[in-house]
Amino acid sequence: MISAVLVDDHPVVHAGVRAWCALADPPIEVVAWGPDVSVAWLDPGSAADVVVLDLQLDVTGPAYGDLKRLVDAGRQVVVYSMRADRETVLTCLDIGAFTYLTKAEGEDHLVAAITAAASGAPYTPPALSGAFGTDDRPHRPRLSPRETEVLLEWFHSESKEMVARRLHLTVHRVNSCLERVRVKYANVGRAAPTKAALVARALQDGLVTTDDL
Amino acid sequence: MLETRPTDVDGGAVERGLLRQGVRYALGLRLVVVALSSVVSLLLTDAPRPGVTVAIVIGLNAWNVCYARGKAKIWVPADVAVMCALCLTQLWTVNSDPRGGGTWVLVAMAITVVTYAWLMPWPALAVATTLILVAHYAGTRIADPGGWLVNEAVEIWTAAEVALSWALYRFVRRSARAADRIVERGEELRRTAAVAAARRADEREYLAALHDTASVTLLMIGNGVVAKREPWLAEQARRDLREIGRSDAAHPGELDLIELLREVAGHTPLRVSWQAPDSLRLPAVDAVSLSRGAREALTNIVRHAGVDQAQISVRHDPATVTVEIVDRGRGFDPGVVAAGHYGVTGSLKERMARRGGSAAIRSSPGRGTTVTLSVPSAVPEVAGDERVIAASFERGLRRAVVVTVLAVLVLLDLPHLLTGGDAYTQRGVQFGVWLSLAAITLVATRYRARWVLVALVLACSVIATATVRPEYRLGPAHWSEGDAGWPIVLILLDSPVALFATVLIGQYLLTFGQAALGGQAALSVAGVVNATWLVLAFQLAIVMIAAVLRGLSVSSARVLRAAAQLRTSEEVAQHLHRDRESRYADLDTSAVPLLEGLADGRLDPGDAAVRRDCAAEATRMRRLLTEDATEPDLLARELRACIELAERDGIAVSFADYGARPELPPSARRRLTEPVIAALATARGKVRLTVAGTGDAVTVSVIAACAEPAELPDGDGVRRSTVLDGDRWWIKAAWQEAA
Repeated sequence: MISAVLVDDHPVVHAGVRAWCALADPPIEVVAWGPDVSVAWLDPGSAADVVVLDLQLDVTGPAYGDLKRLVDAGRQVVVYSMRADRETVLTCLDIGAFTYLTKAEGEDHLVAAITAAASGAPYTPPALSGAFGTDDRPHRPRLSPRETEVLLEWFHSESKEMVARRLHLTVHRVNSCLERVRVKYANVGRAAPTKAALVARALQDGLVTTDDL
Repeated sequence: MLETRPTDVDGGAVERGLLRQGVRYALGLRLVVVALSSVVSLLLTDAPRPGVTVAIVIGLNAWNVCYARGKAKIWVPADVAVMCALCLTQLWTVNSDPRGGGTWVLVAMAITVVTYAWLMPWPALAVATTLILVAHYAGTRIADPGGWLVNEAVEIWTAAEVALSWALYRFVRRSARAADRIVERGEELRRTAAVAAARRADEREYLAALHDTASVTLLMIGNGVVAKREPWLAEQARRDLREIGRSDAAHPGELDLIELLREVAGHTPLRVSWQAPDSLRLPAVDAVSLSRGAREALTNIVRHAGVDQAQISVRHDPATVTVEIVDRGRGFDPGVVAAGHYGVTGSLKERMARRGGSAAIRSSPGRGTTVTLSVPSAVPEVAGDERVIAASFERGLRRAVVVTVLAVLVLLDLPHLLTGGDAYTQRGVQFGVWLSLAAITLVATRYRARWVLVALVLACSVIATATVRPEYRLGPAHWSEGDAGWPIVLILLDSPVALFATVLIGQYLLTFGQAALGGQAALSVAGVVNATWLVLAFQLAIVMIAAVLRGLSVSSARVLRAAAQLRTSEEVAQHLHRDRESRYADLDTSAVPLLEGLADGRLDPGDAAVRRDCAAEATRMRRLLTEDATEPDLLARELRACIELAERDGIAVSFADYGARPELPPSARRRLTEPVIAALATARGKVRLTVAGTGDAVTVSVIAACAEPAELPDGDGVRRSTVLDGDRWWIKAAWQEAA
């Protein structure tokens, strides 16, 4: 059974996450919940497969430091935040978050993201896809025009079927394209164990070649 | 306490400070110069009526003391009368002596009129100076008709000195005004920036709070995660309402550190003993930094220390706020444990350093661990104003001194040079020295090679004295004695007073030594003292004024800063209050009634209609909240207007906007927004509206269950495409910059 720990100070979020996880197939157990990141470091949260982390934006800015330490300890972190701006999203990914979900995407994507995180398979929800597709920072990874196209269509439509129809691809091709982009992002910027693992696995599975990176 | 209210004197804080100090200084200088000169003359020379002279000297000095302590400006007429009387009674107080140089009455008279510049406006200065000079001239004629004492040149030169002193006063005052203006402008900029920063910070904090409270509550209820009325949901709704209505403008941006720490400690299984005040309000950023740091330290105690208790102490002194977290657990060797493993070491220090604070960790195996976190409790002061004011003063004073030095050389020394032909052994050399001193003065205005210049001046002084015949030395023809000190004043203007005084007096002693070696000189000892003293006092006075002004610039800056801080905090509070009221008004009609219904149980979160309302409101709030992040361009503004209209019809529009985009031509913008307007007009239920910018291209996409979009031709660089998926249309309009 997949276990998750939720760092979020909002009881309604807790209720929602628990409800979604209970209905998931396979089920996910939320082993601990708490308003700050200590819950992920202490028993029983310290042994959870996945950390769902609210960035807890306050006057000192987003809690990047908390994220960094979790990632450096090898934890799979799904950032789950009210913030949706590109800067924050890309920064979290650069630090080594497994994926980034806005709270509005939670209903449709949180369970899938936790499941993917537990198995180490890339997961790119629409907001993150939009951030990737419009990334204009100098150290961004090199994407093919088709990859950018898929990212943006997925961001606009939130439906892989629609993306596939529109671009005359299969859903499978859309997925592998998104996965490839995610791996390319794992291969740039700050070094982190979670990112390295993602790249290594993608190379092993033949999803990307060293030439792609 | 520093005076911050405007006084009866016009002008800014620097100018007011200058005038106050200037008057005090002028009176003090006069007191000292007159006392020294009169007492030395009393001791070293005979007076025609010694008894009367003693009485007059005592009376004059007593008057000077009273005058310096009293309200000088009111007593000016009385003072002028006293000085006139002193001048007219010279027949009792001074002897006619060809070797006497200046008399002590002349010194007293001269220093008095010279310092008048600080006490009265120029018309009064002109009248007072004229009266006293006439009285002095008359006094010398009465005392010594046709004798040594009568000297029109002295009266004229004194008048010139008054003019120079007044010019000095004007220059310095003008620089004070300039400093006021510069500082005021800087202060205004800083205030505007501070208000803007405070508003942004408050907005951020407020929005962050809403993000994490009301907005999430509504979103999750909209998602249907709460099936029925729950006590904790009502509690959360009440908390959300408090957050929305929060308007404690009395402490903008402050939080209670102790409250935060207790909350943090409450989330750990540790038993914590406290050594802290009941409450300690700090700027929010500091309070949060400290509590986050404490949280990390406590988490590490639970994970690694193997104990279930800890101690937290909070200390607060004027300079720093310190939080100390102590455990008696296992401890560790900070040198051995890797930073990543024991998160505390690296991250804590990094976090605290960002706020100008520090984190220290003391631990050793078996001895427990002490984590000390501190932040500076005072805002670092802006040091710029002192420099601005000091620089302005120095510029003004330097100009005044240059004018003085050149006036002395041209008006006083050159006539001596031209008329005193037989006093010099080599007149050509004298002219050479005169030109050199003038040149050094001009060079000193631009270059600060001070010790080279001082050496040159001293060399000039020695050469000039050597080419004066011994019997003329220290007399009027020996112009370089004393006046060679003027360039030194200019060169060492920004040096410490003691250094300057040493060099200047050294210059005099050098000349006196030369004169003494050459034998008999032109003046008696008392004559030398009086003649020297008058010039030396003026020169010392200027350098002391410079020192006073340096001190003044610091105190003025402090006054200004205190006033500025007060004004800034008032303005910040006002703005924050208004901002909060208007934000509350935005939410008053929509989010607030929903939360109130949830809080008092009137609304059932399981009810489909309530869920729909919550979802719509959450979407709307989310959009309102993201608006803050970017300065919206015209496209975003038009789209938002469309969304607001749709929301009134009960349509929930989820809006996302990513990427940078160029400024669009108006026709292209219209073509991009038209499909959105058309789709929203007939849409039902949920709509997804997204914008993506990729440098040279902009895509607007709308997905909605709506009427079939009308055929519209492409143009203006905009291409449109539509796809139908079930009952939902996906309409995309993309603009590409023409290559």
